[in-house]
Amino acid sequence: MVVVGFLVVAGWVLVALLAPNFATHDPLSQDVSHRLDEPGENGHIWGADALGRDIQTRVLYGARITIPAGLAVILLGSTIGVLMGATAGWLGGLWDELLMRITELFMAFPTIILAMAITAALGRDIRNAIIALVIVWWPSYARLIRGIVLEIKHNEYVDAAHCAGATGVWILFRTILPNAIAPAIVLMTLDIGNAILTFAGLSFLGLGPPPTSPEWGSMVNAGLDNFSQWWMWLFPGMAIASLVMAFNFIGDGIRDIFDPRLRRD
Amino acid sequence: MPLQVFFLRRLLLTIPLLVGITLFSFIIANAVPSDPVSANIPQNAFDNEEIIAAFRAKWGLDKPPHEQYLTYLGNLLRGDLGVSIKTSKPVLEDIRQFLPATVELAGFAILIGMALGIGTGIVSAVWRNSIADYLTRGYVVIGVSFPIFVLALIGLNVLHVQWGIVAGPGRLDFIIRDPPAVTGLFMVDAAIAGQWDKFANAFSHIILPAFVLGSFVAGIIARITRSSMLEVLGMDYIRTARSHGLRERRVVIRHALSNAMIPIVTVIGLSTANLMTGAVLIESIFAWPGIGRYAFRAATSQDFPAIMGVSILIASIYVMVNFLVDILYYFLDPRIRVA
Repeated sequence: MVVVGFLVVAGWVLVALLAPNFATHDPLSQDVSHRLDEPGENGHIWGADALGRDIQTRVLYGARITIPAGLAVILLGSTIGVLMGATAGWLGGLWDELLMRITELFMAFPTIILAMAITAALGRDIRNAIIALVIVWWPSYARLIRGIVLEIKHNEYVDAAHCAGATGVWILFRTILPNAIAPAIVLMTLDIGNAILTFAGLSFLGLGPPPTSPEWGSMVNAGLDNFSQWWMWLFPGMAIASLVMAFNFIGDGIRDIFDPRLRRD
Repeated sequence: MPLQVFFLRRLLLTIPLLVGITLFSFIIANAVPSDPVSANIPQNAFDNEEIIAAFRAKWGLDKPPHEQYLTYLGNLLRGDLGVSIKTSKPVLEDIRQFLPATVELAGFAILIGMALGIGTGIVSAVWRNSIADYLTRGYVVIGVSFPIFVLALIGLNVLHVQWGIVAGPGRLDFIIRDPPAVTGLFMVDAAIAGQWDKFANAFSHIILPAFVLGSFVAGIIARITRSSMLEVLGMDYIRTARSHGLRERRVVIRHALSNAMIPIVTVIGLSTANLMTGAVLIESIFAWPGIGRYAFRAATSQDFPAIMGVSILIASIYVMVNFLVDILYYFLDPRIRVA
């Protein structure tokens, strides 16, 4: 399963890198004489949309938006989360209490409602959709890392570092965090599919990239107006599903490797 | 710890969270560099200073932020959430109007999700590595990976457009009038009024969106049920129960499931957030007149009172559901009672 996941993700990354080489058309050029062409008609292998743009080309180019967006959300979100969680766990006491209450607050808001309010307020484009998702994404990492830091900060090797005269910041970043980072990496791989799914959901609602850009979620949305032209929404929809599923396969596999207790199953 | 003490302690813990939620949604609604004036005043009134000033004064946009927040909080405690800029009606009235549709949809969805998720989870744990187990595991992966808005479109296209076995968007057919309002849940109201044709129509409208919404939750619940059951089934006390000659069904339901329930209940509580996220997408596809669609329209028109009202409502529901989950722990886990 992990292998299948890796192959599919690698395939999509390749598509993203070499989209101009694979594509048969231009993703943006409109051709009203060929609007709503059925799959296979006039060289449109997966059909054409309401403006005569080639669906397959746009799906291929869509990988160039979705994959970097998903990675950006996970990388930025986990960085902020790890820093917050580590600080809370390390300082303890009042700071811990305060930071964790803030984290809880962020978690109480359903992802899409918060992201929706933020993108709507900041303006609709890819950058703001990513910012909105990062804002809702970091708390789970903060919680995870805080728990682990609390667990290991009383270990003997931490005391040893203290005795050796290491300063607090040094101990946190060089002694504790390297021992706490593995679960965060597992969470990241489990999470990236979810980030892509939410990003696609946001752009499906019209809160992501502008409707002209070949993004999968907004392509599905454009298909709503031409519901019986199933190729308009089914192909980009399947692209999202295949990428998310592949990432989830990888995530499950990596979790099993890091958590031998589960591997026994 | 007696139940009353446990209950009160947990209840008190939710209060700072609820206050924080109001503050947080206020900050989001106000700290962003956007202008509700330009979002809600017609283009040709942009140059008219008087209209803009009147608009600002009417919505309190001319006061300093902390004053605005305290005013808001005071009104909130009196049950006044302000007036929606978009619908020109009190936000509370809007919520009253749109909430029942979402409660009906999400409630039905969580029932489907629980029945499907717990059922398949148990089967796949008890008969591990059987065909049923592989099917469940495959379903779990697809269920949590497949975008529900695409699943909804496939369902609509196949089940409604092509096969015609379920009704399309909306809560009822156009020609059918709402059942007499009691709870606002159409199926319940129709049943109370004895209008069974309306009940059937409402059911045929809700079944597809509820199933799509429930399928995602079912995947999450099935996954946790399976792993939790597998862990418990390997415990010594299960072997003890079997060696006492108890019937397998009793061992699984009584001894294993009741001990495996805590993580399952936790996940069900946390999935309320997923349900609300899904509801926004599903309601916009199925033209479902619920709180998700209201939230979406509020967010896209920068309707601050409505955004805040809905955020506070939904976050409070989430906090309350998880409060109830905490209370359930008390009954599920005897150790909490002793501690």
